[in-house]
Amino acid sequence: MDDIPRIQRMIAVLWPSFIMAGVATILFFTAFDPRDFLITTRFAELSRLGAYSIGFFLFWLLTASSCLLTCYFQRPCQD
Amino acid sequence: MSEQDQTVKVEDEFYAKRKKLYPREVHGIFASLRLTGVVVLLGLYYLMPWVQWNGRQAVLFDLPDRKFYIFDLVLWPQDFFYLAMLLIIAALALFFFTALAGRLWCGYACPQTVWTEVFMWIDRKIEGDRPKAMKLDKSPWTAQKVVKKSLKHVTWILFSLYTGYTFVGWFTPIDELSIRLFNFETGPWETFWVFFYGFATYLNAGWMREQVCIYMCPYARFQSAMFDKDTLIISYDEQRGEPRGSRKKDVDPDKVGLGDCIDCTMCVQVCPTGIDIRDGLQYQCIGCAACVDVCNSVMDKMGYERGLVRYTTEHAVQGGKTRVLRTRIWVYAALLLVLLAGLIYAISQRVPLELDVIRDRNSLYETTDTGMVENIYTLKLINMDEAPHTYRIDIAGLNGAQLIARETEVDVAAGDVLEIPVRVRIDPYELNRTSTEIQFGVQALDAPELNVMQTGRFVGPAR
Repeated sequence: MDDIPRIQRMIAVLWPSFIMAGVATILFFTAFDPRDFLITTRFAELSRLGAYSIGFFLFWLLTASSCLLTCYFQRPCQD
Repeated sequence: MSEQDQTVKVEDEFYAKRKKLYPREVHGIFASLRLTGVVVLLGLYYLMPWVQWNGRQAVLFDLPDRKFYIFDLVLWPQDFFYLAMLLIIAALALFFFTALAGRLWCGYACPQTVWTEVFMWIDRKIEGDRPKAMKLDKSPWTAQKVVKKSLKHVTWILFSLYTGYTFVGWFTPIDELSIRLFNFETGPWETFWVFFYGFATYLNAGWMREQVCIYMCPYARFQSAMFDKDTLIISYDEQRGEPRGSRKKDVDPDKVGLGDCIDCTMCVQVCPTGIDIRDGLQYQCIGCAACVDVCNSVMDKMGYERGLVRYTTEHAVQGGKTRVLRTRIWVYAALLLVLLAGLIYAISQRVPLELDVIRDRNSLYETTDTGMVENIYTLKLINMDEAPHTYRIDIAGLNGAQLIARETEVDVAAGDVLEIPVRVRIDPYELNRTSTEIQFGVQALDAPELNVMQTGRFVGPAR
């Protein structure tokens, strides 16, 4: 693991997850209009742009966690 | 190795692995081509949002309003298919050009390259070319250095923020955005994305530069899969150049036993990713041909033939012939043409009208006083055209059925959605099955080509 620079590892967690969060956001909000499912909740005031943005960051959190776990489990088992 | 040593080593790599590059300015045919790329692409990026068409922004991916405007075409979320097709076509085009001419995309058209060129131009205007910039970085912090560095970063930041603002202008009408901006009334999310994209530009084009290509770009990693021995690459002619070595201009290289490479290291100095092209093909090479330009100018000065570093193919380097029209090219080209034709056909056949048939969920069917059977539906009619229309609704496919609605001719404004509750009534003796298909159709009265048909189900009593 040591031969991989830390910056490369940081990028390996943050960057693929960023791309996939973007894809997920596009697919999700193409299928669902946030105004339709937020109108009955307490987030009814949230603009669409706000809903897309929050949605994107939630997706990013999700995908980044997955990348982080992959990165973690890649460590050799024996020390 | 103790844990602390390991940490030190990793830290070391984090900082030491990347030596700051000072790519030397280069002139020549490929540098001019790249400049053309920069001007055209950034020109499109910064000016396109300001182009008006039929009284609105010509190209606008209106996210708040969930509509994409591309000149005369207005796409709705329902039209996602076209966007997906377009993305597949773009990917295939990238494969095609990669197989044909290597990393053309990286060298001339990639946003990372294009924006980095602008940032390097700013660097050179403020700090000077490579030797001056290197000297400035080594010098102690004098007032002049502070002024130059601050000026550089302020320019970077202003340019980045303008880039971020233009970015948001592709997704929300830019003229309204500007007015809000000048009144400090931009919405919180607009402001956020201006800064987010601005920051990404500042970071990627200012600080990360070649590291984006090396560590972040997926294309850089897999482009070699599209390569074969007939793909255009940038290569150093080892046979001609070696053994390399410096010599006086009037010395005949043959007499001193040297090749044509004078080892001036100009090709290394101009390289935006900091590699030595003379070490052979490397995945860090973005194919920008800066080394080709600079080596040609050196060869001119020495009075040698140009092309010691040149665009060539592996076959040509080995003394063979390059085959441009090979199977791989034909396959990519054919796929590309078929998909492109398909997309154009699909768009030309697109009917800007959508009908959804939603059955009432509360009851399967109702029976009237006169013994007739009724089903209740909601018809959702979306007029995706840019003009209002009057539509007629009717049903087909179920003999003896009667459509009951408050009105069967409805007006729908441009870009509007109308929900129409309707009932379908039938004598149960007409029904052969419990559940039968029924067609709902809508057609614009003033434009008969605007028509769609949608299938629903009619449910009657069990038989």
